Amino acid sequence: MNSRNASGSSNNYNSNPNRPAWLQQYDLIGKIGEGTYGLVFLARTLNQPNRGKCIAIKKFKQSKDGDGISPTAIREIMLLREITHENVVKLVNVHINPADMSLYLAFDYAEHDLYEIIRHHREKVSQSINQYTVKSLLWQLLNGLNYLHSNWIIHRDLKPSNILVMGDGDDQGVVKIADFGLARIYQAPLKYLSENGVVVTIWYRAPELLLGAKHYTSAVDMWAVGCIFAELLTLKPLFQGVEVKATQNPFQLNQLEKIFKVLGHPTPEKWPTLVNLPHWQSDQQHIQGLKYENPGLYSVVHLPQKSPAYDLLSKMLEYDPRKRLTAAQALDHEYFRIEPLPGRNALVPSQPGEKAVSYPIRPVDTTTDFEGSTSVQGSQSVPSGNMASGVGASGVAPRPVPRQMPPMVGMQQRMPGPGMTAFNLASQAGLPSGMNPGGIPMQRAVSQAHQQQQLRRKDPNMGMPGYPPQQKSRRF
Amino acid sequence: MAANFWTSSHWKQLLEQEEVDVVHSPDKERGLTVEEFKYIKMHMANYIWKLAQLVKVRQRVVATAVAYMRRVYTRKSMTEYDPRLVAPSCLYLASKAEESTVQARLLVFYIKKQYSDEKYRFEIKDILEMEMKILEALDYYLVVYHPYRPLSQLLQDAGMTDMTHLSWGLVNDTYKMDLVLIYPPYMIALACIYIASVLKDKDTTAWFEELRADMNVVKNISMEILDFYDNHKILPEDRTNAIFNKISKS
Repeated sequence: MNSRNASGSSNNYNSNPNRPAWLQQYDLIGKIGEGTYGLVFLARTLNQPNRGKCIAIKKFKQSKDGDGISPTAIREIMLLREITHENVVKLVNVHINPADMSLYLAFDYAEHDLYEIIRHHREKVSQSINQYTVKSLLWQLLNGLNYLHSNWIIHRDLKPSNILVMGDGDDQGVVKIADFGLARIYQAPLKYLSENGVVVTIWYRAPELLLGAKHYTSAVDMWAVGCIFAELLTLKPLFQGVEVKATQNPFQLNQLEKIFKVLGHPTPEKWPTLVNLPHWQSDQQHIQGLKYENPGLYSVVHLPQKSPAYDLLSKMLEYDPRKRLTAAQALDHEYFRIEPLPGRNALVPSQPGEKAVSYPIRPVDTTTDFEGSTSVQGSQSVPSGNMASGVGASGVAPRPVPRQMPPMVGMQQRMPGPGMTAFNLASQAGLPSGMNPGGIPMQRAVSQAHQQQQLRRKDPNMGMPGYPPQQKSRRF
Repeated sequence: MAANFWTSSHWKQLLEQEEVDVVHSPDKERGLTVEEFKYIKMHMANYIWKLAQLVKVRQRVVATAVAYMRRVYTRKSMTEYDPRLVAPSCLYLASKAEESTVQARLLVFYIKKQYSDEKYRFEIKDILEMEMKILEALDYYLVVYHPYRPLSQLLQDAGMTDMTHLSWGLVNDTYKMDLVLIYPPYMIALACIYIASVLKDKDTTAWFEELRADMNVVKNISMEILDFYDNHKILPEDRTNAIFNKISKS
């Protein structure tokens, strides 16, 4: 299996004496993700007792509208500071950089996630995930979710990229639920939950949300788990609808159609509160008028109708949220009591002698520092601490696109950010800048093929999916 | 956690009265007494309450904000953390934590509109900076439990929902004291029910006995609340200003 080399220095900008004090405890390796809320970095702890341990550091940008710390960061801190569970990602530290009012959350690092695991099977090994692994992943996901739900926390954004799996080490193959940026306590909301806007990435969104429910419950998470279960089995998203963007209206007819085509039409007989849902009432012609042939869920997921796996799946994808299986009920299901039994390390081979699948490790962009700025040739000329300077002609130095990387990741138009001299790679590298254009992570034991594969990742959803996310060009 | 107070950071962080009544050395050097320290906190609790009414947030947000403010001053001095800035910033942070976000510019607007005293006036960026400092001072623990929920449940259980109004008001007033830092919220709720039942001349002895709550603690809290009603006074403005002048950076 691939593993991260725990020794050896990585980044050159670590040596900058101007770094805030808290940063000295980390050896920054590079950027591993980017989303709407900010950037995610990989770093190693320098202090004992965990020297060399990998940490994922999520940086939250200060919002530009003068709204202070983002509510997303507040939710994540608030919840993760209170909870501890083997199957929930661990928040190990919070840091503040007063200079630019940015906030950093440090998590235990997980090398894999379900998005990458599924994709590796679909695109690289062309074979399904073995039953033991599927069952172990699902059981641990439900185990973490049961803990959250029993503590009155709804995650609201479960999807494969938010379900992390630990790489080599004592915790190998352990599932960690991550990204609590949309999670909240629902015991006594002061407002309707729906006022938080649309939640859950569309493919994993429960029908009651798609139909505009104002009050919803932890059952929305269980629907998402059902979708993830099916995806683990087939390596394909179960309900791959096309999202209607640019509207506040959460009504997503296309996504509903995808669901109806597989599960058939919901009826008020089976789902009595259906008639109270806003979109069911207001959009009768579209939803209620359509008729669907029902090919049956079992044929989509290739499971015998009488198998425990199918029984469990269909009960998670129950239309009526009140009848939908809870996490506690799911853990108790027969599926988990028959061979192969679920285990703590989901990634070990299911049979003795069988070869374990070697999953790729996350690609790291070592050219981006904690400031979120990219080292660019000639970037020394960019004055620091001035937003406007990045826009001027002198600052518009496109990042040299490394040959090894596909264009998507090249982010051709990335500009150096403000305050970059403090972390400037180029100014400290001591290397002729031509030697490693773009600072390709040479020290990493990952093949180019792997990198290419991984970097082509395309996540259809908004927000920050787990750690490795959609790559976006930054415009200043 | 949300369901279980006994595993929460709130429970683990409860303090003794003596720990709460510590005037930090920068304040002490400027001659701030414990009584004045308490008085300013009460004054700021009132300030938060007034601001909250202007920006229209609910009581739970106010309660969380006051709890934040009181927690901050168990660790930080008023000299370094100006209460007149800490108070609105706590309300700002609490509004986010309680999912009822209030915009900083709205707070700044109302402060300017309502308070002519320049010492209360701050810019948006001051509030945003203080928000971060408060988050740090709170050690990133943001979940606060309040007596309101247990109060409703206990009153239902006792069949005394007719006392809701009175006891709810009593709970509101407990935020003028440091009780939220010292006692579990349900004990504060019980004390408020106890006082309400005495005032309304209701016999709740049997009900309290059945609850098996520690009546010594309930009575201690009740005494503190009653003491507070007996002794607290709103000082005239010039006296209040004199106290603030002690901690104001010149």
